[in-house]
Amino acid sequence: MLHVELTIQGLINGSMYALMAVGLTLVYGLLRILHVAHAGLYTLGAYIAVLIANATGSLALGAAVAIPVVGLAGMIVYRLLYEPILHRPPYVALIASIGLFIVMEESYRLIFGPYGETFNAPYLAERVSVGPIGAKAAEVAMVAGAIVLLGVLAFLSKRTRFGIAWRATVTDPAMARAFGVDTIAVRYANFFIASALAASAAVLVAVLNNLVEPTMGSVPSYKTLAIIVLGGLGNVAGTLVAALALGVIEAFGTIYIGHLLDRDAIAFLFLVLVLMIRPQGLFAAR
Amino acid sequence: MTALLEVEGVGVRFGGIQALDDVSFALAEGELLGLIGPNGAGKTTMLRAITGVIRPNPGRIRLAGADITDFSTDRRARTGLALTHQIVKPLRAMTARDNVALAAGHAKTTNVLAALFAIDRTKELARADELLRLVGIENHADAMPSTLPLGALKRLEVARALALDPKVLLLDEPLAGLNHVEAARLADTIVDLNRAGMSIVLIEHNLGEVMRICPRLMVLDNGRRIAMGAAKTVMEDPFVRAAYLGREAGDAAA
Amino acid sequence: MGSYELSLVTLAAIYVMLALSLNLITGFCGQISLGHAAFFGAGAYAAALLTKSGWPLAPALVSGAVLAAAFGFVVGLASLRVRHDFLAITTMGVGFLFIGFVRKQQGLGGELGLSGIPDHGLGPWGLAALTVTLAAATAALSLHIRRVWAGQAFAAIADDEDTARALGIDVMRYKLTAFVLGTALAGLAGGLFAHFTRFIIPDAFGFTVSISILAMVIIGGIGSTWGVLAGAVILTLMPELFRFINDYKLLLYGGLLLLVMRFAPGGLAGGIAALTARLRGAT
Repeated sequence: MLHVELTIQGLINGSMYALMAVGLTLVYGLLRILHVAHAGLYTLGAYIAVLIANATGSLALGAAVAIPVVGLAGMIVYRLLYEPILHRPPYVALIASIGLFIVMEESYRLIFGPYGETFNAPYLAERVSVGPIGAKAAEVAMVAGAIVLLGVLAFLSKRTRFGIAWRATVTDPAMARAFGVDTIAVRYANFFIASALAASAAVLVAVLNNLVEPTMGSVPSYKTLAIIVLGGLGNVAGTLVAALALGVIEAFGTIYIGHLLDRDAIAFLFLVLVLMIRPQGLFAAR
Repeated sequence: MTALLEVEGVGVRFGGIQALDDVSFALAEGELLGLIGPNGAGKTTMLRAITGVIRPNPGRIRLAGADITDFSTDRRARTGLALTHQIVKPLRAMTARDNVALAAGHAKTTNVLAALFAIDRTKELARADELLRLVGIENHADAMPSTLPLGALKRLEVARALALDPKVLLLDEPLAGLNHVEAARLADTIVDLNRAGMSIVLIEHNLGEVMRICPRLMVLDNGRRIAMGAAKTVMEDPFVRAAYLGREAGDAAA
Repeated sequence: MGSYELSLVTLAAIYVMLALSLNLITGFCGQISLGHAAFFGAGAYAAALLTKSGWPLAPALVSGAVLAAAFGFVVGLASLRVRHDFLAITTMGVGFLFIGFVRKQQGLGGELGLSGIPDHGLGPWGLAALTVTLAAATAALSLHIRRVWAGQAFAAIADDEDTARALGIDVMRYKLTAFVLGTALAGLAGGLFAHFTRFIIPDAFGFTVSISILAMVIIGGIGSTWGVLAGAVILTLMPELFRFINDYKLLLYGGLLLLVMRFAPGGLAGGIAALTARLRGAT
C-alpha cells in the first residue's frame, strides 16, 4: 500500500512539475533560453489569484484574472529582457534570468511580507477517496488540471494553424519565415502560453497548500530546469515523462534514501547521474 | 616517394547510412593531392575521420609511419596534422597575430604545467608575422577577426594552420565563398606553399582551380573511392563524369 | 581600525578570493559554474572538522583546499561531458547535492551546522592580514595566468573549444587544471571563512551564495582580474556600509545581475574600458 501511496503522491507533484516544465521547455525549444524567471511569473500568478479571491470571495475570478495577466507579463519579460540579448552567448540570458527571478522574489517579499497569504476560505480542502486510496480534492484537481491543460496544449500544437507555425519556427525559423510565418508573433504567443501555464500551476499549488509565499517558486524553478534537461531540452513529450518520473523518484527517494540526502538533492542526484551517462538528456530532441 | 599520410580501409556509418566505405589512399611527402566529389560524397566525413572528430570503424590512419587512429584531435594536431576550416573559425577575442602566435606556441602549450610558467612570446610573435606575410595579410596583423573580410579570414586560417609546423596540411574548401580573383590568388598561394615543401590535401568544390593546381586527384562518390590518379586522366574517367554529370542531370530534373 | 572594520576587511578578502577563483574557471576558461559555493563549503567543513579534532590551522586550511580541489576535479570531469547550458545546470545540481548531503549528515552537524570551531589564535589583525595576503596572492596568480601561455590556451578554450583542439591544445587537461585551481582556492577561502565566523551552517554554502559569487564576477567584468576584485569588494561592503541596503541585499545583487547582463555584459571592467577608449578618441 505504501508504494501505491508514494506513486500517487509522486504523480501529484509530478503534475505540478509538468505544468511548469512544459512552459520552460517551450521557451527553450524556441529561443534556447533557460528561463529561470518563469518561476517568478508562477509566484506572481499565485499572488494575483489569492489577493483577488480574498477581496471578492471568488477563486474562479482570481484564476481568470491571474492566468491571462501572467501570460502578458511573460510577453513583457520577453520583449524587455530577452529580445535585446538573444544574439549574445547563452549564459547571458541565463544569468539575466536568474537576476530577474531574484528581483521578483525579493519584490514579493518586500511588498507582501515574508510570511505569505492564505485564502480566507480554504478551497477543495475535503478529501475524496476511491476505494482504499484517499487524496485531497485539491490534489485531484491538480492532476485533472494538468491533464486538461496539457491536453489542450497538445491539441493546439497538432491541430491548429498556430501549432503548425510554432513547430515550423522551432525546426527552422528561416524556413518558417519564408513560408510566411510571423515568427515574432510566434515568440510572443509562446511566452504567453508558457507563462499562462505557470500561472495555472501556481493557482493549483496555492489551493493545494492554502499558502502563497514569496519563495514558493524557488524549489520548482531549479528543479524544473533539471526536468527539462532530463527531458532533452525542447522536447515536450520527454519533459512530461521526466516531470512525472521525477515526482515519483522523489517520493520514493525521500522514504528510502532520505536519511542521506534531502528531497531536492535526490532530484539533482538523479539529474547529474543521467547527464553523466547520457549528456544529451533522457530524450534528446535532436 | 614515401607515404606521409596513409588512410587504410576507412569506413564510417551514421545510423543506417554508410558515409564512407573502405576508402584508402596515401599522400606522399611533398605532394599536393586534390580530394573532390559531388555533394554528400563523403569528403567532409573523410576529413573528420583524419582529424579525429569521428572515429573510423573499421580502418587505420597513419601519419609519418605512426598509427594515429586512437589519438584525440588535439594530439593529432600536435603530431603534425593541421586543418583549415571550410567555415572560418578564428578565435574572436584575439588579434590575427595572436591567433597565429597561439598556434606557433604549440610546443609551449603542450604541457599545462610548463605553460603556467612560460611567458616569453617573442619567437612566436615573430613567427606569426612571418606567416601572415607569407599568406599576404601582414597589414591585418593587429586587426580583430570580426573586422576582417572573408578573404583575409581564409588566409588567416592557412597561416594559423602553418604555425603548427604540420607535416600535413588539410585544407577544407579554402576557396569557397571567395570571388574569382581571390580564389585564383589563394590557389596560387597554396601552390607556393606546396613548392616550398608542404604536403597538402586539398578538399575543394572549385573544380577549375583544383584541375589547375593539383597534379593528382582522388574522387569520392557515395562514400566510395571511384577514381585516383593524374588530374587529367581522372577527369576523363567515365565513372567520374557519370558521378558529376549524372548528379547534376538529376538535380536539374528535380 | 576597530574590530568591526577588521572583520569587514577579512570578509571582503574572503569574497575576493572566492570571486577570483570562480573567475579562473568561468572567466578565463569559459566554463560556467552555478555551484561554486559547494567548493567553498567543502573547504570550510573539512578545515573546521580538522581543527576541531586538534589539527593546527595551517595544515587544516591546506587539507580543506585539497579536498575542495579533489571535488573540483570530479566536477571538472563532468565539464568534459556536458557544455554550456547543460554544464550550468549540472554545476547547479552539484551545489544542491552538496548542501542536501551536508544537511543530512549528523557528523557534519546536519541542519544546525558546526559550532565551536576553535579560535585561529591569530587575533583579528592576524586573521585580517592572512586573508588579505592570500587574496592578494590569488589576484597575483590571476594576473600571472593571463600573461603566460596557459592563459592564452584558456582564452582559446573559452572562445571556441573545437578550434582550440584543432590548434593542438589539450582541452581536457586545461579544463581540469582550471577547475582544480579554482576550486582549491575556493576551498582555502572556505577554511578561512569557517575560522573567521567559527560557526557554519549548510545554508552559508547554498545556491544563493553561488549566485552571489557569480554576481561579483559578472558585475566586476567576467575575465578581468581587477574588475572582479573590485566587484567582490563593492558587493561585500556596500550592504555593510549602507545599513539600509542590507534588507535589500539580494534585490541589489539580482537587480545588478539583470541590468549588467541586459545593458553592459562587460561589467564594470568592460564599462571602464569603453569609457577610456571614448575619452582617448575624444582627445
